[in-house]
Amino acid sequence: MANIAAKRIKREFKEVMKSEEVAGGSIKLELINDSWTELQGEIAGPPDTPYEGGTFLLEIKVPETYPFNPPKIRFMTKIWHPNVSSVTGAICLDILKDQWAAALTLRTVLLSIQALLSAAEPNDPQDAVVAKQYREDIRLFNLTASHWTNVYAGGPTVIWEFNQKVQVLIEMGIDEDQARVALSTFEWEIERATEHLFS
Amino acid sequence: MNCDQFYSVFRHPYSITNLASVQNNTSNKMSAESDMEYSDNDGDDYDYYGEQDDCDMEAVDRTKSDPEYFLYTCLRVEEVEKLLNESIELLSNSLQITPSLAKVTLHAYEWNAQEIINKYKENANEVLVYSRVKSRSPVLQASTSRSSCAVCANTPPMHKYSALACGHYFCNDCWAMHFEVQIMQGVSNTITCMAQDCELRAPEDFVLSHVTKPNLRERYQQFMFKDHVKSHPELRFCPGPNCQWIFRAWTREGARRVECQGCELLTCFSCGAPHHAPTDCPTIRRWLTKCADDSETANYISAHTKDCPKCQICIEKNGGCNHMQCGACRHDFCWVCLGDWKSHGSEYYECSRYKEDPNMSSDSQHAQAREALKKYLHYYERWENHARSLKLEEQTLASLKSRINQKVMAGEGTWIDWQYLWDSAKLLKRCRYTLQYTYPFAYYMDNGPRKELFEYQQAQLEAEIENLSWKVERAETTDRGDLENQMDIAEKRRTTLLKDFLEFHTTTASSSKV
Repeated sequence: MANIAAKRIKREFKEVMKSEEVAGGSIKLELINDSWTELQGEIAGPPDTPYEGGTFLLEIKVPETYPFNPPKIRFMTKIWHPNVSSVTGAICLDILKDQWAAALTLRTVLLSIQALLSAAEPNDPQDAVVAKQYREDIRLFNLTASHWTNVYAGGPTVIWEFNQKVQVLIEMGIDEDQARVALSTFEWEIERATEHLFS
Repeated sequence: MNCDQFYSVFRHPYSITNLASVQNNTSNKMSAESDMEYSDNDGDDYDYYGEQDDCDMEAVDRTKSDPEYFLYTCLRVEEVEKLLNESIELLSNSLQITPSLAKVTLHAYEWNAQEIINKYKENANEVLVYSRVKSRSPVLQASTSRSSCAVCANTPPMHKYSALACGHYFCNDCWAMHFEVQIMQGVSNTITCMAQDCELRAPEDFVLSHVTKPNLRERYQQFMFKDHVKSHPELRFCPGPNCQWIFRAWTREGARRVECQGCELLTCFSCGAPHHAPTDCPTIRRWLTKCADDSETANYISAHTKDCPKCQICIEKNGGCNHMQCGACRHDFCWVCLGDWKSHGSEYYECSRYKEDPNMSSDSQHAQAREALKKYLHYYERWENHARSLKLEEQTLASLKSRINQKVMAGEGTWIDWQYLWDSAKLLKRCRYTLQYTYPFAYYMDNGPRKELFEYQQAQLEAEIENLSWKVERAETTDRGDLENQMDIAEKRRTTLLKDFLEFHTTTASSSKV
């Protein structure tokens, strides 16, 4: 079993390395250990989305039963997206669950995750809070997602207003990440965010 | 297959007055009769019975006298296997397809063989595509040379490749591994092709031709069977722990009582929850979820013991009857409302009714929330209380059996002489069961004359049940005639309530016939 898994991963690794996406810098794959069971993926935020310009790291764990079971993948870079948990980075994507097929490869999976960043599925959310904002206030959602991309993924768009608000909460003694989650959750209203944090 | 015919199949020699004694063997009789009639039959030809006029009359009688009457059978695994195999054989013979293909098709069409045959005649391709054994898009042509298996990257010789009807070839080792992983995860009927976006299902013969380990093959077939029963609209597993029996019935609408022959569990055939008449399936689901969410609070608030309202001694309830008599001061009171038992009277029993506080200030949100909680607790406490009573009466039933045995051994009459005691305890259980399930029904009812009528009938039923419980607990010293009279009254109250409030939303056989 593990034999097939290792063999497959080796071949897929080569496939990704040779692919035009790697050449174009849109995806990357790195080995973490020699046993081929852990890898690190990297995808570029797709153009014309709030993630543009950001680089997102993914943790990839290959199970013993690969490729008959899907790889376990989560975002290591924090991201504000309806189908990704803003806390754990868990991804809600059908091909990583019941729609997995043994013939799928790490390359296709990485490309699918990238596609998910361009086209969110707010009706099948991983993070209910983000999905609600996506549905009800897309403008604020885009700003928040850009802000997160800037702070965590090295994106170019700086939103001064949000930075200042986070700073206000940090000065109250709140952890930066916690402050950002609270503000993003409560539509960047300092009062409600603090009320939530101190209750 | 149509329900009208089934309703008339069954003969009903019982009248309401001796219903209690008959109840024990009802399900046995039913299945005995039905065994004869259904399993030796191809499952389609029941008209013969429907034409017997006298049977028809009795069927009408039975549905009138027992509002919960529902025709079903309890089947063993082998009988169900036989039943399923008959459908499979019928389909594979009439369409000239393999049994394994017939299984996939039947599973996709919820075991409606006739529908498949009709549709197959119209458009065979569509049936196969719908069943996911054939792809909609044109089949890939098997190329003469394959460089390597897309899954394992190995390069086995050409003859070690296989594919489903979609033409996605993979090596046999990978298929075997794929099936092993899927079977270990409990998947059977719905194992799909390994290709991306291909939803074709692997039929049984294809799976078994690749899986060689005997325990895995066995597991696969067990899962297949479970899956078949679950996908069959006429079948339902008894939810009892380790229970092997399977119910068969012909409609899945409304609260439908089925009693397992093996573990005697009462189940609703429509939704698989414990039987819940008069409450309907969606309502009981809401109620049970609500209870699961709130019961911790409710448990906390409602204590398990109460103080005697007269002498304040702490009393633990050890029997099912809610008519309490304090061991210390002999005061008779009601466990539910703690009022004097005498004031309950025989005419109008008030304590099952929830009285909304008329002085409630409607503007205060807090007061409203408190009132809502109070209302919920009122119904929940009664629901819980009757559930506890049922458990305690279960113990009474067990000890009754040994007491009767002792009497018979000591020569004080025969089993038949004491049968009425047994029957009364069984009847009490059935009545209290229904009473328990009237509380979620009442909780979700809108205020109005219908609710008033319901609560009136519920109160009447409750009063008679407590009377019966009191008499059953002291049955050996009270008059037999008195007890039997009480049994009759309680059962009549129960059926009256069910008749007025048990609703089936579709026009079923019973209503169309009557």
